[in-house]
Amino acid sequence: YLSNTSTLSTKMAKSFPEEVLEHVFSFITSDSDRNAVSLVCKSWYEIERWCRKRVFVGNCYAVSPRILTRRFPEVRSVEIKGKPHFADFNLVPEGWGGCVYPWISAMAGAYPWLEEIRLKRMVVSDEALELISTSFCNFKVLVLSSCEGFSTDGLASIAANCRELRVLDLRESEVDDLSGHWLSHFPDTWTSLVSLNIACLGSEVSFSALERLVARSPNLRTLRLNRAVSLEKLHNLLCRAPQLVEFGTGAYSSELRPDVFSNLAGAFSGCKQLKGLSGFWDVVPAYLPAIYLTCSGLTSLNLSYATIQSPDLVKLVSQCHNLQRLWVLDYIEDIGLDALAASCKHLQELRVFPSDPYVVDPNVSLTERGLVAVSEGCPKLQSVLYFCRQMSNAALVAIARNRPNLVCFRLCIIEPRAPDYLTLEPLDAGFGAIVEHCKELRRLSLSGLLTDRVFEYIGTRGRKLEMLSIAFAGESDLGLHHVLSGCESLRKLEIRDCPFGDKALLANAAKLETMRSLWMSSCSVSFGACKLLGQKLPRLNVEVIDERGSPDSRPESCPVEKLYIYRTVAGPRVDMPPFVWTIDEDAALRV
Amino acid sequence: MELQLGLALPSVPFSKGFDLNSCGYEAKEVLGGFDSILDCNVEKSSEEKKRSFDEAFDVQSVQVPETLPLLVWNQQTEHNYPENSSSSITRSDEEEEEDGIIGWPPIKYRRKKLCHGSPISDANCWTVGNGESGGGGDGGHSRGPNPTYVKVKMEGVTIARKVDLSLHHSYQTLTHTLVGMFGRCQEDVKAYKLTYQDNDGDWLLAGDVPWGTFVRSVQRLKVLNNGD
Repeated sequence: YLSNTSTLSTKMAKSFPEEVLEHVFSFITSDSDRNAVSLVCKSWYEIERWCRKRVFVGNCYAVSPRILTRRFPEVRSVEIKGKPHFADFNLVPEGWGGCVYPWISAMAGAYPWLEEIRLKRMVVSDEALELISTSFCNFKVLVLSSCEGFSTDGLASIAANCRELRVLDLRESEVDDLSGHWLSHFPDTWTSLVSLNIACLGSEVSFSALERLVARSPNLRTLRLNRAVSLEKLHNLLCRAPQLVEFGTGAYSSELRPDVFSNLAGAFSGCKQLKGLSGFWDVVPAYLPAIYLTCSGLTSLNLSYATIQSPDLVKLVSQCHNLQRLWVLDYIEDIGLDALAASCKHLQELRVFPSDPYVVDPNVSLTERGLVAVSEGCPKLQSVLYFCRQMSNAALVAIARNRPNLVCFRLCIIEPRAPDYLTLEPLDAGFGAIVEHCKELRRLSLSGLLTDRVFEYIGTRGRKLEMLSIAFAGESDLGLHHVLSGCESLRKLEIRDCPFGDKALLANAAKLETMRSLWMSSCSVSFGACKLLGQKLPRLNVEVIDERGSPDSRPESCPVEKLYIYRTVAGPRVDMPPFVWTIDEDAALRV
Repeated sequence: MELQLGLALPSVPFSKGFDLNSCGYEAKEVLGGFDSILDCNVEKSSEEKKRSFDEAFDVQSVQVPETLPLLVWNQQTEHNYPENSSSSITRSDEEEEEDGIIGWPPIKYRRKKLCHGSPISDANCWTVGNGESGGGGDGGHSRGPNPTYVKVKMEGVTIARKVDLSLHHSYQTLTHTLVGMFGRCQEDVKAYKLTYQDNDGDWLLAGDVPWGTFVRSVQRLKVLNNGD
């Protein structure tokens, strides 16, 4: 068998020069296709690895920087994700990990021609930013999504040293905002800016520096300002950048003055390519008409910080006939969602955020009816994130029947374990209908009162489900077993406050190696079970995260606070904080 | 897509022989689903490991328990949480309740900041703050002219609510409103008793003092099941 293969390879190598294969491979851009190509034979593996330019690392601890740089020597673009998703909701203790410095350090040596770094939920220090700014002479794109650990000093290094920078996008990162002075570090000769997103910054940047920057950037397409930029100043920027495609305002409020209004309206109408708007903190409704002329061209509107009432929202949204994406607060109410359903027939993505999430009494009239209306009226709707206070099985069934093309469905009923408000039954049937009808569903978040039954539906019908989020649901291990023994495509599972114990996990241990990660917090998984998993499955890192002290100081049957299990080829972490333990192959506890 | 360095196993039916429940460890199992079918016997022979999972999880034969006393369990583990994790940074002291749920509802920190303490300019329709720290954009639906909000909890319910006392003039209307707030039937009013914490920190049964005195001294309310 072996000799046949090598004869074949030799024949192929002789008849098909590497350069040709490389050229063919250059048309293959999707990572999964590239991975498939690399498995065909050794020579294809070699050729492919030498010409792979873009790498995505979904879990920074699944592979080490050294393994990456050794296998792919010519990478130009890297994307890395760190903390698990539930870190967004404060469930991952501070200091857990996800530090990017070792990656930057390794790539600084291996990839002098690196152009793009995209990071999500990673800890990025000022030292890391400085190292980036001095190591990659051709560096073009920096995207820091939900990152933390750096200050405006780090940004100053990037500004000062990255001569080829095109994109600086700080999406929702937590930045230690020392001053706005960093922006002035961009040299006057630098004119290649394409995208700047500083919406997450608190302090004011020098407006004149910003103005000059915008004026000398003819390729600027995306500009997202922070709240500190006042409304009166917007027209200065917009007039200098009429080619903008995406724009985020600062605080959208000012004393009502006709000259300010007309300047603003004029500036907006000059931006003929505008497709997306965001920002809108502190909205004064009287200034909203300034953007009316842009509405017919808008495909994306983020009003999720706009604290304005339904009538104003309706007036705005009803003019956006080409809208594909809307993020909005629940001030829009059912009545506003009716208007959305009537006006925005191209809507693909809707996110409705709660304006007052910590009070169970509804402060607005937003119910399940609004979502049903949108599901009826918007034939292209495929992605939903919806916070509300009541739901019924009937509504979920209607949504499922209306929109079998749903790809992402995330429902958050604010009160945990809230039943169908009409029948007081669990919402099993409703979510069951969702997975039954929406055959392309890839992401699902559950809420409300749910028994083990819903997991049976999900396990058997959620064939394309890749990510599942569960909270305050289920009755026994059977629920978890249904999910782990079904859901063929499952990659990420995150669970909190559910009565799932050891049995389902141990019975389906092999499943865990086919997934990126499993997160379970406030469940009933014992330390003993974690040890067993860590021992028997060496290709998994089983992390016990427990701030009560060493699990050895409690009986093995005691449930752990949090566990995070992920597959890895990098072995156990070497950077664990004191509250994280993993288990060695010999079941020794390692800190 | 992931960096697949030979990590993905070919999809095998997981039920065949990879059940760590028979590895000699007494797995902890929660409430009913497993133990009644899968006999957790350490001496099981390897043949018996291959019980088909259809057989094992025949739902009809399982005593699936009623809704669990999850709250009891939750409270135990919540007391295990260290102090610092119970405060989401943006919450005022009022929000740091012993039963507060961390990270729920699932909203990012940045948005939480907005809900509590966003400056409400006069140009908006919302009335200015309601006297509590962290007053966000309240809907204005059920507010009196001088709203007096106090926190209310009902025994056995996780999330607290707020009630505007200025809208009430008697214990009766208050109790009825509270019972309705927690989704209970109005006929069940008699099944509950209302207690309150006064400004000395003492918990008292509501109804003994005149309404006016009560309103002036009440700090928070708790609805308890009668017969406790």
